[in-house]
Parts: sequence; structure tokens; C-alpha cells
Amino acid sequence: MHEPVISISNLTRRFGAKTALNEVTLNVPAGSVFGLVGENGAGKSTLIKHILGLWRAESGKVRVFNLDPVADPVSVLGRIGYLSEQPDLPDWMRVHEFLRYTQAFYPKWDANYVEELRQQFALDPNARIRVLSKGQRAKLGLLAAQAHRPDLLLLDEPSSGLDPIVRNDILTAVIRTVTDEGRTVFFSSHLLEEIERVSDHIAMLHRGKLVLCGALDDVKAHHRRITLRFDKPRSEAPRVSGTVMVTGAGRNWTVICNSSVPTRQAIAVDRDAEIVDEGAASLNEIFIAYAGEPLPATSMA
Amino acid sequence: MTIRVNPASGVPLYLQLIEQLKLAIETGAIRAGEQLPSIREMAEELLINPNTVVRAYRDLETEGIIALRHGAGAFVCASVVPRAKLMNKAQAVVQSAMDQLASLDLTEDEIRRLVENELGGRRSRKPVRKKYA
Repeated sequence: MHEPVISISNLTRRFGAKTALNEVTLNVPAGSVFGLVGENGAGKSTLIKHILGLWRAESGKVRVFNLDPVADPVSVLGRIGYLSEQPDLPDWMRVHEFLRYTQAFYPKWDANYVEELRQQFALDPNARIRVLSKGQRAKLGLLAAQAHRPDLLLLDEPSSGLDPIVRNDILTAVIRTVTDEGRTVFFSSHLLEEIERVSDHIAMLHRGKLVLCGALDDVKAHHRRITLRFDKPRSEAPRVSGTVMVTGAGRNWTVICNSSVPTRQAIAVDRDAEIVDEGAASLNEIFIAYAGEPLPATSMA
Repeated sequence: MTIRVNPASGVPLYLQLIEQLKLAIETGAIRAGEQLPSIREMAEELLINPNTVVRAYRDLETEGIIALRHGAGAFVCASVVPRAKLMNKAQAVVQSAMDQLASLDLTEDEIRRLVENELGGRRSRKPVRKKYA
């Protein structure tokens, strides 16, 4: 197999007393769409800044294209297209000036592709960036991030606060990037529906710790939602192996668990309970289950 | 042919795509010999990961419903007998049942669970469990 495009091992980062990243280890396979989820402040942007080489690893190791992004920023950044939540664009420039200016940094800039995207996004080349709407700014940022056909497209909360049409443009760009010569996309989002649509790998950060990481299909196949009805009311939550979260009271309890499909009989016989409902947990349920309380890391890789 | 997938449901996207394509073929919306959209077209149309489309197409190929011709695309196999009349009749039954359920103010997820549960119950009463065996 190909070696991973991004390889992070035991990355830890502290800001004063706060641990922003705690022993994070993950690999992003070439040609994948890797979705990073986590609530605000979970450490997503901090992780991305390490991938970009903006911050040096305090402890642990970060490699992008098998290079150290801090030691070799030119080689690494030249192959990355980056779009942040609020693209930092020079307000006083016109659209065409900004594109010409950005082009100077990238030897592999594809002017025909830029023109194609500019027309598709309906961006006026003579408009001042100052007068662009939030959606138009995002499109311009996306255009500049893609123009050199980067090997790695890195998107930090790209669709936060945007209307559905611009969000679709961003998702189309993600899909086009991977169908095109198997390039790689890494993007963070708190919109689980987006992650679930386009990702094939996901990682979940919770308070700086990686609580979940693996192929999306595996993650979904391993997590089940089971609703139990007990013969007698219980004062404490039932114990089911691999439990991530339990909710309920009295006779009815719902368990989100991470294990190979537990047989109906095993649970029912052991617990004097009947399974009233069982099914695959949605990513949203899995996310809430892990974000509910701190839990040890689980790897599915 | 209108294909829609819903990422928020617990059902994996590739299975949703398989079910939708099967339905389109069974109802005659896509006929034998016709070409399916390319992997890229389908992925961009539905805004889903291209690998999801690949997986769905491969599974349909294994089931003998479509044929993947290298470089040319995916075609619906001639051997697939459309059960159009039957399926259209069944679709009407499902539609009226759904209307009744919806009037009871049930959510989509609740309806799906009821249907799954009913199918599961029937399966477990039969000696051979086809789907999960």
C-alpha cells in the first residue's frame, strides 16, 4: 500500500494548563477523504496548524508527505491547498489581482483551471474583495486553494456559516479532488451529515484526545444502538460490554455500544431483559455518545 | 431516474445506493442494456464519496445485476427481468401505508425501525436467515 500522506504520532500540545492535544496518533491514507469531527475547542484547528507546520510539535511527531512541515515548509506547503474557516484575503485587492498574486507562490498553478472555476463560481474578476459576500469569499478561497491541483486539500471548517449552495460547491470540490488522480482531502467539520456524505475515514477529537479513528464503514458497522426493556425497574444503568453511553431509567434503557454485533440472546438472558429495538447507530448518535464523557481511545485501524 | 441518499440515517450510503438502483431497475426506470452514470458523475450528483459509488457498483456486479466494462462504464445486464408491474403495484401499497403512518406523526426513523423490526421478526421465524447469514 501507499504510505500515508499525513502521519502523526503521539502529538501533544499544551497551552498553559490546558492540554489542547493529548497523545494524538493518526494516519491519513493517500487518496482518502479524511473527516475530522469534534465540538468547538476539541483541538481540530490546533491539529491542522501542526499539519501545516505553523506550530512545532511539542512532543511527538508530525510528517506530511514523509517530510517535517516545520523543517521543510516550502516542499510541504507547495503540495497543500488550504482553506480556513475565515479565509484571510486582502480586502483592498481585486479578484484578478489576488489570483495573480497568489499564482506567484505556486509553480504548478493551472490558469485554465482557475478560469474554469472562476466562471463556475460566478466571481467577477474586477470586484474588490472588500465587497464580496461571505459565500463569495469562501469560493475565492476555495479557488485559490485548488488552483495548483494540490496533492493534499486541507479544509478547516470550510462550510461553517455558509449557505447550502456554497456548501455544495465545497463538497463538489472535495469529490473532484479525490476522483482526480487520487489526491487526498483532510477536512474538519462539525456538520456530521457532510462528513458522512463524503468521507471514507473519520477521526473524532474530544478534549484533545482522539476517541475514535478508522474507516467510516468500520466505525458505523461496529457501533450499535440497543434498547432494552427489563423485567424489573433498575436504579443503576445496565452493564453491556463495549458500552459507550447508556441513557434511560426504570425498565427502559438505551445503550450505544462499540463491539462486534452482540447476539440478542446473550444480552437478553444475562440481563433479564428483552431487546425491544436494535440497529446501527447513526454517526450523530456515536458522536454524542463519545462527547458525553471522557473515554479511553478506541482504534479500529 | 431520481436517486436520493440520506446520510443521517443509520443505513450505510452504499447500501442506500444499491437499494435505490435496484428499485430503479425493477420498476423499469433504468432498462436492461442501459448505461449507469459514471462513478464520478454519480458521486458529484449525490455529493458522496466516489468509493461509495464504486462499492455499490461492485456489489451490484457480484449480484449479476450490472456489468462493469473496463473503460466503458456500468451497464444493466440483459438477464435482469424487470418486475416492473409487480413493483409498481407494491409501491402503491407502500405509499398508502406510509401516508397512514405519517398521519400518526411518526418520524422517518421510527417508521424505518418498525419496518426493519417487522422484517427481522419474519426472518427469524424462517429457518434460513437470508440477509445476515
